[in-house]
Amino acid sequence: MLLCGRMEDIQGSVVAVHRRPHSYFRLRLHVTATFADAEPGQFVMVQVGHCLEPFLRRAFSIHDVSRGEGQDVHIDLLGKEIGRGTSLLGQSRAGDVLRILGPLGHGFQMKEHSRVALVAGGVGSAPLLLLARRLLDRGRTFDFFYGGRSQSDLSRRELFARLTEESGGELIGTTEDGSFGETGLITVPLERRLVRGTYDFVYGCGPMPLLAALANLCSRCGIDGEAALETPMGCGYGACLGCAVPRLDGSFALCCKQGPVFRFDEVRW
Amino acid sequence: MTPVDLSVELGGLLLPNPILTASGTFGYGLEFGHLADLEALGGIVTKGLSLEPRLGNPGPRICETRGGVLNSIGLQNIGIEAFLSDYVAGLRQYPAQVIVNLFGETAEEYRKLSTRVRDVPEIAAVELNVSCPNVERGGIEFGHDPKRLEDLVASVRDSTDKPLIVKLSPNVTSPVALAEACQRGGADILSCINTVMGMAIDHRSRKPLLHTVRGGLSGPAIKPIALRIVFDVAREVDLPVIGIGGVEAVEDVVEFLLAGASAVQVGTLLFREPNAPRRLVKELGDYLAEAGLDGVASLIGAIDLDGTTLG
Repeated sequence: MLLCGRMEDIQGSVVAVHRRPHSYFRLRLHVTATFADAEPGQFVMVQVGHCLEPFLRRAFSIHDVSRGEGQDVHIDLLGKEIGRGTSLLGQSRAGDVLRILGPLGHGFQMKEHSRVALVAGGVGSAPLLLLARRLLDRGRTFDFFYGGRSQSDLSRRELFARLTEESGGELIGTTEDGSFGETGLITVPLERRLVRGTYDFVYGCGPMPLLAALANLCSRCGIDGEAALETPMGCGYGACLGCAVPRLDGSFALCCKQGPVFRFDEVRW
Repeated sequence: MTPVDLSVELGGLLLPNPILTASGTFGYGLEFGHLADLEALGGIVTKGLSLEPRLGNPGPRICETRGGVLNSIGLQNIGIEAFLSDYVAGLRQYPAQVIVNLFGETAEEYRKLSTRVRDVPEIAAVELNVSCPNVERGGIEFGHDPKRLEDLVASVRDSTDKPLIVKLSPNVTSPVALAEACQRGGADILSCINTVMGMAIDHRSRKPLLHTVRGGLSGPAIKPIALRIVFDVAREVDLPVIGIGGVEAVEDVVEFLLAGASAVQVGTLLFREPNAPRRLVKELGDYLAEAGLDGVASLIGAIDLDGTTLG
């Protein structure tokens, strides 16, 4: 029987909203103590407004977890205004109260690897901040590969660079328009290092074509890895069965329950 | 003030209150006990169960539309045996009545399913899914043809003494004709409605938003359709009706009762508010108390048609 771990449906209040150019935003929410133990890769479902559109909650990776005053726990969400739901959320204000269901799903595994690569495509970097912090807590070294169309898509680049350096690693960026780092796709510099055997594990999050390319690359190089997937999702807690991810054995996994983090060799890309 | 009695009796089924979870929106009942107060429910209708487990359709299986949700899950389920071995015992502790939603590709499969649960005491009733729009075979083949539906219901009727519910499709010219067929076949209760066939396209990619292109629409967008069909069926057919379609607030529950429903199922709302049934049960009690009513019975079919002309 599928019984989830600890999750709560709570009222969270918006502590701060950071709006960034090109529709990116970061939201800090005051939540309950349960969220302090959120694993990197887990997510929340956020109810935006009380109207018919959006009707369903929206899924967001837990971008960061921090302590506020006293015992207060904060989580950060990183998003980009695309549709009506994300736009309304990006325009929320400090003091707004939102219903938040979480932490949901299974996060990234944290094994004893010697050197790992974190690979983000655009706003797919969202869950990788918490992952980077947890890796740093364990004294592990990682490189951060950050790709986007343009430098404005590389949200929180300086923070990622700082954490990566602290770990003893390096941030490698690529943009399709050449505004930051190498021009082209992030898989190109990653492949150069993968074939040299630099890494023994790869973590990825971003658009599906990037994740499929990552899975392919890792498979060719014989390296294990995991990706946090994004699929259309109805409920986030396993009730609607909407978020099917095809597995290699022909069956379907639920992204919200069995994921959103999957091993590269588990998914039919 | 004495507490309001929310219990209802319909077609041999006694519910502690008239708020049930709709099939396919609450798994097999037990999984979400940490998110929803199962004690508050009047009844739990399981995900559609088939003889063998089904994998369901490839994704995308779900998308949101204005005020609604389109889905094409394709009846992914664990199969009747896994339900009976893993879930039924755990459901015993709740006052909610457990209703199994059954799906077959042939009349024989429906009959086997209903026979299999006939002697399971925890199961209060059987709901036949003859209206799923998202699978190629079975289900809707029966739900759109009065003669085949009548034969199917009669065959299942012979196999069980449990209250027999048939869930009707809205995607037909005359839901009443199908409701009458169910009555002739020996059904005890009708649930109206299953999802409304629809589709959605992304204008940027020019692609349909569901893998199967077409899917079933649910949520507040379909409430007027559901209300009309409940009204028609309750007027024309002498069987109790369970209303389904877009219930969000206690006012929706009351409106379904006024249209002729004896109970309602809550579905899509659970996706955004897992504990909605508890809220609705409380709000319904408050509503009745405020109106000075001692139960729901006086609301059932109590629509005031004075001064109207049926169009």
